[in-house]
Amino acid sequence: MRVSIPWLKKYINIKQPTAELADMLTMLGLESDAPKKPTFSGIVVGKILKAEKHPNADRLSLCVVTDGKEEYQVVCGAPNVDTEQIVAFAKVGAVLGDDFKITKAKIRGERSYGMICSERELGLSDEHEGIMVLNESAKIGTNFGDYLSSNLHYLEIDLTPNRPDCMSHVGVAREIAVKTGTKINYTPAAERKFKKNEVADILSIKIDDKNCCPRYVAGVVKNITVGPAPDWMRELLESAGQRSINNIVDISNYVLMEMGHPTHIFDYDKIPSQTICIRKAKKGEHVMSLDEEQRKLTDELVITDGKKPIAIAGLMGGLESAVTDKTKNVLIESAYFDPITIRRSAKSLGMSTEASKRFERGADPEGAVNAYWRVVELLEELAGGEWVPGMIDAYPKKIKQKQIILTREKIDILSGCELSDSFVNATLSNLELDIKKDGKNKWICTPPSFRPDLEREVDLIEECCRVYGYDKIHSNFHYAGLYDLAEVDPEDVLSKIVIAMSGLGFRQCYLNSLTDENTAGLLGNNAIPMQNPLSSAMSHLRTSLYPGLLQTVNHNIRNGNANVNLFEIGKEYKTGKKNSEIYHLTGVLHGDWISKSVHNDEQRQTIHSLKGKVEALFNRLKIKNISFSTTEHTHYKYGLSIALGKSVIGHCGKLKQSILNNLDINADEIFGFDIELKSIIDAMKNVVKYSAVSPYPKVGRDMNFVLDKNTKTADISYTVLNAGGQILISVKPVDIFQHKSLGDNKKSVTFHLEFQSAVKTLEEAEINSAMNDITAIISKQFDAKLRD
Amino acid sequence: MTILESIGSVRESFRADLDSFPTDQREIDLLRSKYFGRKGLLADLYILLSGLSNKEKPKAGQSINSLKKELQKEFDRKTASIAGPKHVTNDQLLDLSLPGYPITNGSIHPLQQTLDEIKGIFKSVGFKVAYGPEIEDDYHNFEALNIPKHHPARDMQDTFFVEDNVVLRTHTSNVQIHLMEEREPPLRYIVPGRVYRNEAVSYKSYCLFHQIEGLYVDKNVSMGDLKGILEYFVKRFFGESTTMRFRPSFFPFTEPSAEVDIWDEKREKWMEILGCGMVDPNVFDNVGYDSTVWHGYAFGMGIERMAMLKYGIDDIRLFYQNDVRFLEQF
Repeated sequence: MRVSIPWLKKYINIKQPTAELADMLTMLGLESDAPKKPTFSGIVVGKILKAEKHPNADRLSLCVVTDGKEEYQVVCGAPNVDTEQIVAFAKVGAVLGDDFKITKAKIRGERSYGMICSERELGLSDEHEGIMVLNESAKIGTNFGDYLSSNLHYLEIDLTPNRPDCMSHVGVAREIAVKTGTKINYTPAAERKFKKNEVADILSIKIDDKNCCPRYVAGVVKNITVGPAPDWMRELLESAGQRSINNIVDISNYVLMEMGHPTHIFDYDKIPSQTICIRKAKKGEHVMSLDEEQRKLTDELVITDGKKPIAIAGLMGGLESAVTDKTKNVLIESAYFDPITIRRSAKSLGMSTEASKRFERGADPEGAVNAYWRVVELLEELAGGEWVPGMIDAYPKKIKQKQIILTREKIDILSGCELSDSFVNATLSNLELDIKKDGKNKWICTPPSFRPDLEREVDLIEECCRVYGYDKIHSNFHYAGLYDLAEVDPEDVLSKIVIAMSGLGFRQCYLNSLTDENTAGLLGNNAIPMQNPLSSAMSHLRTSLYPGLLQTVNHNIRNGNANVNLFEIGKEYKTGKKNSEIYHLTGVLHGDWISKSVHNDEQRQTIHSLKGKVEALFNRLKIKNISFSTTEHTHYKYGLSIALGKSVIGHCGKLKQSILNNLDINADEIFGFDIELKSIIDAMKNVVKYSAVSPYPKVGRDMNFVLDKNTKTADISYTVLNAGGQILISVKPVDIFQHKSLGDNKKSVTFHLEFQSAVKTLEEAEINSAMNDITAIISKQFDAKLRD
Repeated sequence: MTILESIGSVRESFRADLDSFPTDQREIDLLRSKYFGRKGLLADLYILLSGLSNKEKPKAGQSINSLKKELQKEFDRKTASIAGPKHVTNDQLLDLSLPGYPITNGSIHPLQQTLDEIKGIFKSVGFKVAYGPEIEDDYHNFEALNIPKHHPARDMQDTFFVEDNVVLRTHTSNVQIHLMEEREPPLRYIVPGRVYRNEAVSYKSYCLFHQIEGLYVDKNVSMGDLKGILEYFVKRFFGESTTMRFRPSFFPFTEPSAEVDIWDEKREKWMEILGCGMVDPNVFDNVGYDSTVWHGYAFGMGIERMAMLKYGIDDIRLFYQNDVRFLEQF
C-alpha cells in the first residue's frame, strides 16, 4: 500500500526523513520501504524550444532543446514531441540503463546532440510510446534524479493481514503517534442532528442476511454537480498512487484512503425502486460491474434494487447504477460486511479491490457511520450537494467489542522484558483501548472497534512489546540444565550415505518433486495429481527419482559435462489406500569413469563400474549380506536386482534406450541404481563388531579353470569358497580368457585364492589338500577342468 | 595375388586390428603372434619373398622390411599406452610438473550442507530433530495452526491441493501439531523438510523449497528467550559480526510474532531470514496443552534463503538445476 507523506502530515508532525520514518514503521510491524533516490548522470530537465519535421524523414522530428545554458539540436522519433514541453534530456556522454551511452550522431543527414527520453529508456516504466513529459514547474537544468526524488514523497507499506486499521492514512498516523508519544490531529466528521429522518421517505433498506451484512448505513444527497475534484484532493490522491476521476468518485476514494472505510456512491435516480435490499445472489444472476465486466454470480452477497443486483457487496459497484457526468442525486452506501463473506465473493469472482481488501480483513463497524458523515460533508463542500436530512442505519447484528483481561504475570512471562504499569497504561490508551485497572496486577481492556485483531491477552502483550520496541527486548541465552538427547536424529544416517556417495565420486542433486503426467507414469505408477497444478509440466508428484536425474544428465551433457555421476536422496510419492512418501537413493552414471589423461586412457562406465560403486557403498556403510542377481526389469536393457539377505531392496543396470528417448535424453549408455532407503537405514543400526585379525601369514594361489562359456563366475567363486574349508578366506576372479584354442564355447577363468589360519602358519600340504578338494568339486559340479 | 597385394592386405588387416586393439594382455600376446610370431603373417610374407625371382626380391624385401618396422612401431605405441604410464617413469626423467591422475570427485549439494550446518547448530544447544509428512491434511497444515478456512492469512501461502482437504504442506509447521499431539511438554525440536508453494517459478521463488522449523515449549518461555536463541544461531551461521534486526510481524500461529532480518553489506539493505513468535494460545488449545501453564516459541526459516545469503547465490533455480559447474563449487 502506498502512503503519502504530505497526507500523513495533515494528521501528524513528521520531521524525520522518509527513510527514517520507514524504519520506525517497520519496527512497529508495518514493514515499510522508502523509494530509493534514483541516480542519473548526464540527464537533466530540459525544455524543447523548437520541434519541426525532419527534412529527410517523415517520422522523425528535428528539435532544439535547452538545458538553461546551451541549446542543442536533437533528432527525436517520438510522436508526442512538441515545443514548450519540459522533458528528460540525456546529453552526450550520459549513460542509460546498464550500458547505453549517448553519443553524437548523424541521423538521416542531421546532427543530433543527445536524446529526449521515454519512461522506458529511463528505467521508470515500460512506457515507450512517447517521450516522458515532466511537470511544467520543473526547473530547467536540474539533474533529473533530483527532479524525480522531489516527487517521491511516499512510502510503500507491506501490511500484514491482521492490520486493516492501518490501510488508511489516519491509521498509519495513529501508529506514528503512539510510537512518538504524541496525538494525531484528526477529528471525524461531525454527526449531524436532524429533526425528521426525511431520507426514510425516499429510501428503504432491507437486509436479508444479517450475518453477512451486520450493518448498512445509507443516505441521499441531492443536486450535486459532477466535475473535477479540487487540486488539493487530486494531489493527495495522486501522491498516494490513486488516479483522479471526478469529484464524486474521488470523494469516495478519498474517504477510503483517509480513514480506511470503503463507501459506495450510487446514482440515486437509477434506482427507481428507492429500495436497497442486501441478499445472497441466486445462481444464474448477472451483474455488469463498473469495470464493464459481466459478472456471473453464484451465491455472493449482492446489493439489489429489490429485484436485480446492482452491485457486488464489498467488491464493486454495478455499471448501471454508477455515477456519470449527468448524475444529479446520489445514494451513499457505507456498510460493514462480514469478512468471510466478502473473501468468499472475492475468491469466487477472482476479484480483489481496495474495498474487498479492507472488508475481508475486517472493517470498522463504527467507521461505517463516520464515513457516511464524511462523504456527506465532502459532497456538500466539493459537489454543491444538498443533504437530505437523515441517515438510515440498518444494524441488525450489533458488533460488540469483547473485554480482555490482561495480567501482569502473562506480560512478564511472554515479553521477557520489564514493561512498567505506566508504560502499559499509556500504550494501550494511546492505541485507543478503553482500560481499567482491576486490582494490582490486572487490567480490563476494551479495544476500539477498528482493531478486530485484538481479541486476547496475548494480542495486547504484542501491542505493548511492539510499541516498546522489539529491539529493546533483552536477549536471553541460558542453556543451563540437561536435555534428553536420547532421541537421535532419525536422518543422521542419511548424512552418512551422502558422505559415502560423494566419496565414491557422485555429485548430490536436489530435484523437483513435481513433474508432468507422462514422466510420472513412465517409471512408476499411481502418481498423485495436483488439483490445481501450476502448469502441466508440474502436475503430478514424482513416482521415481530416475527421470529428474536422467534429465539432469542431459542438461549437463548439453552444457559440456559429458562425464557425470549423480545421485539424489529423495522421496517417491504414490497413491494407494493411503498416500505414501518413500525415501529412495538413486544414482546415475554416464560417460567415462576414469577420464583420459597423460597417464592413462579413458575408461567408459559399464555395468561393472556401476556394480563396483554400489558394492563399495554397501561396504562403506558396513552393510553385509548384499547380493546381486540378474533380473529382467522394465527400466533396464540388462540389470541386476540388489538384495539384502533375502529381500530385494533395489536394482541397477543399463537404462533402456526407450526410456531415454521418452524423456528426450540425447545420450546412450546411462547406468543407474535405485535403492529403497528404509531397509538400509535399518541395516545401518547394526553395531559393527570387531573380529580378530590373524597374526599368521597369508598365502596366495591362483587356480585356472576352463569352463563352459555360460558358467557364471560368481557361482564358481561361491563354490570354491565353500569347498576350500576354513583356511580359504577369499576368492576372486582375476582373469577371463576366451580363445578358439580352448575349444568352442569355452572360457578360461583364473581365480586368486587367499589362505590364512587364525591359529598357525599354514603348511604347504594343507593348502594343496584344500586346492585338491576344490578342483574335485568344481570339476564335478561344473564340467570344468583345471588348466595348467 | 601379387606380393605387393599381399603386403597391402597384411597392412589393412593390421589397421583393422589396431582399431579394436585389445586391453587384455593375453589378447595382446595373441595379436602379437598373429603378426610377429613364428607362424605369423609377417613370417608368411617372408616365405612368399623367398619364392620370388632375384630381380623382384630387393624391392619386395624392402617393402616387407618397412612394413615390419611400421607394424612394430604402431604395436609398441599401442601396448605402451595400455600397459602402463605413457610417459617416462625413470626417476631422473620424472616430470613432477605433470598433473596427478584424474580422480573423479563427488560433491555434497549446498542445500544439504546448509541443512547439516543449521541442524548442527541447534543440536548443539539441545534441540532434537523430528520429521513429518509432505502430503498433509488441511487440519494439520492450516486449521490447527489457527489459520481457519476463508482467512486472509491463507493468501500468504499459495497452496497445492491433492484432494479437497489434502494439501502439499506449505510449511514445516504442520509437524508442530504432530509433535504436540504425540508428546507431552516440555518440547524442544527442530523440523527440517520440503515444503511447497503454488507460485510461478522465478529467480526468487520456486514451487518448492526447504524449511527448518523450531519449536520450544516450556513453562517460562519469553520473547527474550526467542531472541536469544535466534541471535545465537545467526552469529554462528553468518558470523560473529552479523547485524540482526528483530521486528514485529504477523503469523496466525504465533502471537506476538516477529521477523528477523540481517544486514546485507553488499546490497546495503536488510534481508529477511526467518519468521518466528510465541506459540499462539489457540494452537496450544488445539493440541490440548493448557495455555495458561505452557508457553513456547516457534520459528521457521528457508534453507534456500540461508544458502543464498551465505554463498551469494542470486537465483533459487540453480539449486534444482544441478549443473555440475554449480555443484562442483560446494
